[in-house]
Amino acid sequence: MRAETLKGHLDGLLLASLEAGPRHGYAIMEALRAGSDGQVDLPTGTIYPALRRLERAGLLAGEWDEAGGRRRRTYSLTPAGRRALVAERGTWRDFSAAVTALLEPAPRAVTS
Amino acid sequence: MTARGAIDAYVEQVAAGLPGPARRRVDMMAELRSGLLDAVDSHRQDGLPDDAAVAAATAEFGEPRVIAATFRSELAVGLARRCALTLAATGPVVGLLWTAAALASHIGLRRALPWEAAAPAGATDVVRLLLLALLVTAGGALLTLAVTGRRAARRAHRNRVAPAAAAFSGFGAVTVDVAVFTLLASQLASAPGGLAPLPVAAAATASLARLVLAWHAAQRCRAAIA
Repeated sequence: MRAETLKGHLDGLLLASLEAGPRHGYAIMEALRAGSDGQVDLPTGTIYPALRRLERAGLLAGEWDEAGGRRRRTYSLTPAGRRALVAERGTWRDFSAAVTALLEPAPRAVTS
Repeated sequence: MTARGAIDAYVEQVAAGLPGPARRRVDMMAELRSGLLDAVDSHRQDGLPDDAAVAAATAEFGEPRVIAATFRSELAVGLARRCALTLAATGPVVGLLWTAAALASHIGLRRALPWEAAAPAGATDVVRLLLLALLVTAGGALLTLAVTGRRAARRAHRNRVAPAAAAFSGFGAVTVDVAVFTLLASQLASAPGGLAPLPVAAAATASLARLVLAWHAAQRCRAAIA
């Protein structure tokens, strides 16, 4: 899936990837790839500035920690981030239901 | 080239020409580097030899020029916000010091504003310029703070307004200081006796320091607009 197709939904995907618990940047990217069967495949470098922006928005909290001799920046959802994720989900459900209804061939109405 | 050497070269390519603030930039590049090392590990575990793992990692992260653009946008916002906060914090201090200097000096403040009383010829144009520059400075700083706040960060967009508004604010502050110094010079030329030396010296020192600060801030923000 190309970056343009995902545009507007990347924030929601990043938030969703942290719902189960904190992750560092590369683990977030791997989760997006694995969770979408490889369909979501962005240049990995682009997610780091996006994570910083979401942190600036108060939706994520980032913190450096060290494991196995390597420093990594780990992100977790803030309460505002959880609320934003819930809102994002609601918006997506409405949007996808509407688009599905319009794109899929409708079953013929049964007349009595 | 060693694996680390190739990773460092990639990070340097991304980092080249990125705007400050320096600490934030270094921090973000450290994160990019640590992510690349994770990617190399991951490709090694998939069975690739070292060189191929590094090549796969850098290819996966994306064209350095493209990645740099996304970092630039995020860093420019931080820079613009910091410049605007600095200008917003220093502006009132400089303004208060000049007001105190004018009050302490006997230049007719009771009858009218200092520059209106016995203003030397040409001074009123400078005053108009000063007031206009004050508006630009304050407006630019307020706009910058508005577009770099938490709410604005919720939307992914290329923020060109922030560094531009901050640069306007900085150049506005420089103009304010230059205008005030021009007024001071004409006052010194026409009626130096009325000026209170200490308050004027204090205000002039603060104003000069702010001028230099604002000039540098404006230049950095202007460079970050691209």
